[in-house]
This record gives sequence, C-alpha cells and structure tokens, in this order.
Amino acid sequence: MSKRHLLAVFSNFDEAEAVVKELRNTSIKGFNANDDLVVKSPIEHPEVEEFLGDKPVYVQWFTLFGALMGGLLGFFLISGAQANFYAQIKGGKPIVPFPPNFVLTYEMFILGGVFITILGFLICAGLPARRSPLYTAKVSEDQIALLVKADEESASVLKAIFTKHEALEIQEEAGK
Amino acid sequence: MSVSNLLENWAEFRHTHPVDDVPHDPYKWAMSIDLDACSGCNACSIACYAENNIPVVGKDKFEHGQVMHWMRIERYWPEDGREFPDQGATFLPMMCQQCEAAPCETVCPVGATNHTADGLNSQIYNRCVGSRYCSANCPFKVRYFNWYDYPTTENVWPAEMTQQLNPDITLRGKGVMEKCTFCVQRIRAGERAVKNEGRILRDGEVQTACQQVCPTGAITFGNLVDPESKVHQKWKAQQVELTADEQEKDKEEGGTDLRGYRILEELRPYPSVMYMERVRESAI
Amino acid sequence: MKDIREDIAWAKINKDVLKSLESPRNLYWVIVIGALLVFSVGVGCEIYQYNVGMGVANLDNPHVWGLYIATFIFWIGMSHSGTLLSAILHLMHADWRKPIYRFAEAMTTFSLMTAGLFVMVHLGRLWQFYYSLPYPNDRGLWPNFQSPLLWDAMAIFTYLSSSILFLFVGMIPDLAICRDNIHSGWRKKLYTVLALGWEGTDRQWRNFRVTYLTIACFLIPLAVSVHSIVASDFAMSQQPGWHVTSFPPYFVAGALYSGCAAIITLFIILRYVFKFEEYMTLPILKKTVRLTFAIAMVWTYLNAVEFASVWYSHDIASKDVLIQKATGPYAPYWWGMIFCGSVVPLILAFKRFQTNIPVLLVTSLLLNLGMWLERWMIVAPTYSHGYYPWTWDHDQFPSWVQWGMVFGSFGWFTLLFMVFCKVFPSVSMYEVKEMVYHRSLASKKLEVSGSQESVEGAH
Repeated sequence: MSKRHLLAVFSNFDEAEAVVKELRNTSIKGFNANDDLVVKSPIEHPEVEEFLGDKPVYVQWFTLFGALMGGLLGFFLISGAQANFYAQIKGGKPIVPFPPNFVLTYEMFILGGVFITILGFLICAGLPARRSPLYTAKVSEDQIALLVKADEESASVLKAIFTKHEALEIQEEAGK
Repeated sequence: MSVSNLLENWAEFRHTHPVDDVPHDPYKWAMSIDLDACSGCNACSIACYAENNIPVVGKDKFEHGQVMHWMRIERYWPEDGREFPDQGATFLPMMCQQCEAAPCETVCPVGATNHTADGLNSQIYNRCVGSRYCSANCPFKVRYFNWYDYPTTENVWPAEMTQQLNPDITLRGKGVMEKCTFCVQRIRAGERAVKNEGRILRDGEVQTACQQVCPTGAITFGNLVDPESKVHQKWKAQQVELTADEQEKDKEEGGTDLRGYRILEELRPYPSVMYMERVRESAI
Repeated sequence: MKDIREDIAWAKINKDVLKSLESPRNLYWVIVIGALLVFSVGVGCEIYQYNVGMGVANLDNPHVWGLYIATFIFWIGMSHSGTLLSAILHLMHADWRKPIYRFAEAMTTFSLMTAGLFVMVHLGRLWQFYYSLPYPNDRGLWPNFQSPLLWDAMAIFTYLSSSILFLFVGMIPDLAICRDNIHSGWRKKLYTVLALGWEGTDRQWRNFRVTYLTIACFLIPLAVSVHSIVASDFAMSQQPGWHVTSFPPYFVAGALYSGCAAIITLFIILRYVFKFEEYMTLPILKKTVRLTFAIAMVWTYLNAVEFASVWYSHDIASKDVLIQKATGPYAPYWWGMIFCGSVVPLILAFKRFQTNIPVLLVTSLLLNLGMWLERWMIVAPTYSHGYYPWTWDHDQFPSWVQWGMVFGSFGWFTLLFMVFCKVFPSVSMYEVKEMVYHRSLASKKLEVSGSQESVEGAH
C-alpha cells in the first residue's frame, strides 16, 4: 500500500504537542507515532523530546572512536617517524622522547575527536541532504511543523486532526 | 615497518645522550684553548673567514649586529676606573662549542641541526627554514643568520675575490642559519684519505683553520677518545670530564690550581671546548 | 538600561539580523576600505622583506626574534576569548553569551589566521615553510617533533580547524534561515550549499545538541593547551626570563584577558555599525566588562607571582633580566605594560563606567595595547641581557618593516572580520530565540508559582 506524507504547520508548541498526543491515541492505518512522525522546529526544544519519547543519539560513539584513533595514530606516527628519521640524536634527549610526544598525542586526540564527531553528526543527522518538498520557510522563523507519514487512505483522518488543532497550513505530497 | 622498528630497537631509541650513552667511537672531536697564550691577534677569525666562505658584511651591517664571524674574539676588561681600560683587556676566542647536549638541536622545528656520530653539532643548510629558534636558545649566541643574500650582495666578494672562495664549502643564501663546524670539510676529507689505508685519523692529521694559523699555538684540536691526542691529554691533565655538569675538581674545598674550565657548564650543554685560564686579580 | 525583550517576535529577530547582511551603516564601508589600506601596508613590507632578506627587519644576533613573534602571541591570545564565550559559558549555561558568541567565535578563527601569517613572515625561508609539516616523502624526512615550534604548528592547526568547524556547525540553523529568506544571487547559492539541507527536524536537533556540546568540551582543553604550548616556546627554552614554570597559566590568563578586551571593542563597533542595539544590549556588555575585570586581576596576580618567584629564586641571570626590564632601555614599554594591564582595568570596577560606551572603547583598546606590550616585553628584553655577556649593551630597535607588518595585520584581521559579518549572520538568530524562549518560560513559571503562593496565603 502506498504511503503518503503530510505536513501541518502550527503557531506554537502547545498546539503541536496536543496534536501529537491525539495522533498517538488515535489508531490510524499505516501510521506509527514512533517512526512516522517528524517535528520540524526553529529552535531546539527540550519539550520535543518529552512528547516524542526518548530517541537515541549515537554521535558520542563517533567521538570516542575518533579521539582514541587520533591519539593512537598521533603517538605511533610521531614515534615511528622519530625512529625512522635517520634516528638523529638531539643532544640530551632520547631519540623517542615521551614528553614532546605526549603533547602531540594530546593534540591529535582532540583533532581526531573533533573531526570524527563532525563526521558522526553528518551521518547521524542525515546531512547533507536534499530538502524534502514538504517544507516551509516559516519553520526556520517561528512556527513548528509536523511531518506525518501514513497510508493514503488515512490522509483525511490526519487532516481532520490537524484542522481541529488550528493548523495554519497543511501541505500534501503531490499525487503519485 | 615503523612500529616493528620501534619495538625491535626500543632500547636504542630510549637512551639519553650523552649521559647514559656509549662513548663516541672512533672519533669525538674536541678542542682546548689556552687563554693565557691568546694574544687577541684575530688571525683565527680571519682564517675562519677564508676557509669557510664567510661573507664580509661591511661596516653598516656590522654596526647593526649582523656580522657573520663564526670565530669571534671577545674582549673584556675590568671596570675599575683606570685611565686606559683597554690596556687590561683579556681575550676570549668564541665559536660554536659543539655541545654534546646542544640546546639548539632540540628546538629546531625541521631537524636541521643534529648531533653527529663523531660528536659534532651539525647544521644542514638545505633543511633550514630560518625560524632562528636555535639561535634564540643558544646560551653562547654563536649562531649566525644570513640576514641578506650575501653571495649576490655587492662588495661581499668583489669580482676577482670569488676566485679565492673555498670550493669544498657551499655559499649560503639568505634565510639560513650557519655557525662554526670545526672545519668539518677538512675532517671529512681526512677521513676519506685514511680510509684507503684502512686506519683512522692520527692526531694532527686534521687541523682546523683557526688552529693552523694561531701564532701562539693557543688552540688545540683533536680526537678526544684517542689517548694519544694532545687534546685528550690536555683535558685529562685539567681533569675536565666531557659528560659532567660539574667537575670533580671544582667540588673540592678551596678550589683548584688547574686552569681548565668550560663556559656555562652548569646549564648542562656539555660543551666540547675547554678553555684554560689562570684566575688573576687583574690582567696587569 | 534595557535587556533583550522577552516578548520580541521571532520573525523580527530574523528580519533584524538578516538586515545586517544587507544594509550596515556607511561606517562599514569606511572601515573596510581603511582595513584594505592598512593591510596593503603590511603586504608591501612583506614583499620588500621577502625579496631583500630578513635583515631589513633590523633583527640581528642576538635579537633574532622581534615583533613578529610578539605579535604572533598577541593574535593567538586574542583567539581564546571566542572559546571562552562559546564553549566555557555554554557549558555553564550562561545564556547572556548567546547574542555575542558568534562574532567572538569568528574573532577566534580570524585572529588565528592572522597569527599564522606571523609564523610565516617570521621564517627566513618562507618559501620552504612546508619543511615543518609532517608530510610523508620518499626521503623519509620528518620535522623535529621535539621542537615547541612544531607543537605550535600542530596546536594551531588543530585549534584553527576545530574552531572553523565549531563556528560552522553552530551556524547551520542560521544558514538555513538565510537560505529560506534570501531568494536571489550568489548568496542564495552559498547559503543553500552551506545549510546542508537543514530542516530543523527533531533528529537533526537531537544530534546537533550532542555534537555542539561535545565539540565545546573538546575546545576548552584545546584552547588551554594551545596557549600553554605557545608559552612552551619560551618556558622550554633555556634563556633567562623565558625559562619560567608559571608561563603556561600566565599566558592563558593573558590570552583570555586580551581576548575579552577585544570582544568589548568589537562589541561596541558591531553594535553601532550593524545596528544591533536591540540584541547586543548593555546588560550583556556589563557582564563582559565584569568578566574582563576579573581576568585582569588574575593576570595581575600571575604577573606578580612571576616577578616574585624570579626575585626570590636567586637565579642571578633571570633576576638581571627582570631588573633590566624595569630600568633598562625597555623600561618605558615595560612600565607601560604594567600601567595598561594592571592599572587601567581598575576603571572597569566602577559601575558607572561599566556601560559607558566611549570610556569602554578607549579602555578596551588600552588594555589590548598593554597586552601587546606584555608579549613584546616577554620576547625582546631576554635578548639584550641573556646569559652571555658579549651580547649585553647592544639593543636593536625594530625597523619600520616590522612595525609595518604589525600594523598591516590589524588591517587583515579587520578585513576578514568585517567581510564575515556582512556575509554571515553575526548574531546567532536561533540561539537568541532560545534565549528569549527560555527566559519567558522561566518568568511564566515564576508567575504561576507566585499566584499559587498567594492562593495559599489566602487560606
């Protein structure tokens, strides 16, 4: 059965929250509140998490991996290079001295951490991406939008709920 | 590759030179300078200019402190209000001390200055980027920087003078650091010559330019690990240890009559040049 | 004294900030052209020095480092306040940072770029600068990882790339706003590409929050390490006056100090030029000023610690350098540093000056002058009175080439900064919205609990 996307725009969070609650309590064919609902908002709202339920974030695992790999790479790259570089003696210091290598390892630890965190962010947030056709510039201003996916036949039910809660605008995916 | 190299030779990469290192073998070049014999004639400095293609910068740049004398004669005199202070001047020929733990080596960002196997503090002109950190960290300030491109500067080597440049030495362009090398070109030539005979250099076979011209014989240069060499005998006679940061003789109460000392020894650069001077109330 | 209105319409925030991209005051163009002229002076000096040699800078043996290194430290120091505002205050939930952290973060990035230039112009063989980068090559040649200068290169690379990424990630939601509101020209294309298709979905915001927090956590130790490493250039050396254990914290305090002073200067200029009076409000300025005062006192304390430890350590060479600083040829500059760094900030302690814009503009410039002098007084006097007596009594004043490049660097920085403010929103729109949203929520809660109390009181 083909799915259909709907986008409803609301003027504030309380209304959006009420809609989400109602969507959860109504059984709509082909709609699952955990998977088929996306909230688009101009700022980061702690409330969104509350009414959407906990969803995991995996960015920090990228961070851990990146930082450790950066540090390890840093230390072995530097020590290996020192041991290869004609094994030149610098007076008063061993060829592979620890304090300077730890300083650089520390920098590489942070460098790896930051770079891979950004990579993780892009992967986890699905960026860069083409914007979905159901989008309104009002979302980046002051309004909140709900993007809902459901079976084609449920579109009218959804619309009814949106209108009941004074949706400012309802966008529909162009018919296939 | 590099990690296995690291693991295999770990001990070798972790020892600290010179304190827990094996002695240099077969060469450790060192010097001793008898200040009581030095007359301050500057012949060593001139010889150094000629041997090492050092640019003559001229009066203006000299006044700006941009002079290049690898071997310089410093003058000191007592400030006791005498009528002609220069009269009591004492002299100190100063050049790169070829430190065993040279402060300049660790700070060079590109590794252009290193400790060689025969105990020299080398300078790689091609590698130098001119950050001048080595000079900043040198306690003796014996490193000289090419502030200008001297080979192309007028009157540094006037037309016919270029004929007398030493062909064994490169000319240094602008932006690189240079300093006394203990006439490394002579050492290397000597080593090559005796290699055919299957032996190592004997004392006196290699002389530095400054040693060669010194009229009073104040400068002795040679192989410190060769017990036959004059420099070894002098260091031994003066009880100066290469790898000590304070000599045993100086710890004795009441001091010592021995004249040998090394400059700024307490900073632990372990210089390879020993000076000898009797401590006196006044030079006159 | 008005703070940001809690009931300000969010659409108005968008409109006001977007307007700054279009129509600043005419002073903007005056500043940009002025900066270009100043920068061209620096470029001219560098071309001259590149062609003739470092000698024209009037450096010599032993004065091998001069204003280049001093100004390098100055610009590196400047970069630290951006991190202070964007990362440390972010973790401390100080919401007043939100309208001003974007430009502070931009200041971090651009002052690092300026500092990087000074490393370059300082090199005797600028054309071989890549020798100091660890790139694989068939000769197996690597830079010397023991050199504090190499740590510097690594630390600055890490810091610069991390702060650019931090600045960029923090700007993505704002770039989306720009994309949604600007419909023509190169700007449209630029914002569309840079916004990465941001739609503000819950998934994006969730990951955004964690990412932002993580990078903030990384940036704080990074910023501290960067200036500690710059301090190591001196502390790791052997020279009297440089070989000081307390240099790293002293440098970090000095960095935050000059950075905060620069934030005050730029705050005042931006506020006027881009008509941000409603967002960069006086209460925010007041908080920044108080922060600066606190850091100024920390710096003064660390300065005193350094002098005292040198004085009582009985390290003769270091003590002589200190005496030379106070009485020798550098004395006017040294006392100028003490005056600008420790006495001038006392003005900031007076409430009535904490929001007085002309006084603050002059004071903040004086503070930065003091901090610049501090860096010069760290670098130069050691050379004229080092360990070796032969180098004494020989002073070398920097030539016009050095001064010209120091002068030009301010043009370069201003140019980059002003172009940034015209192309990218220098006030964070989404975070100002968050700020007013949370403030209004908090005051609503207060009202609710207040009314409950009054009901209870009626019983």
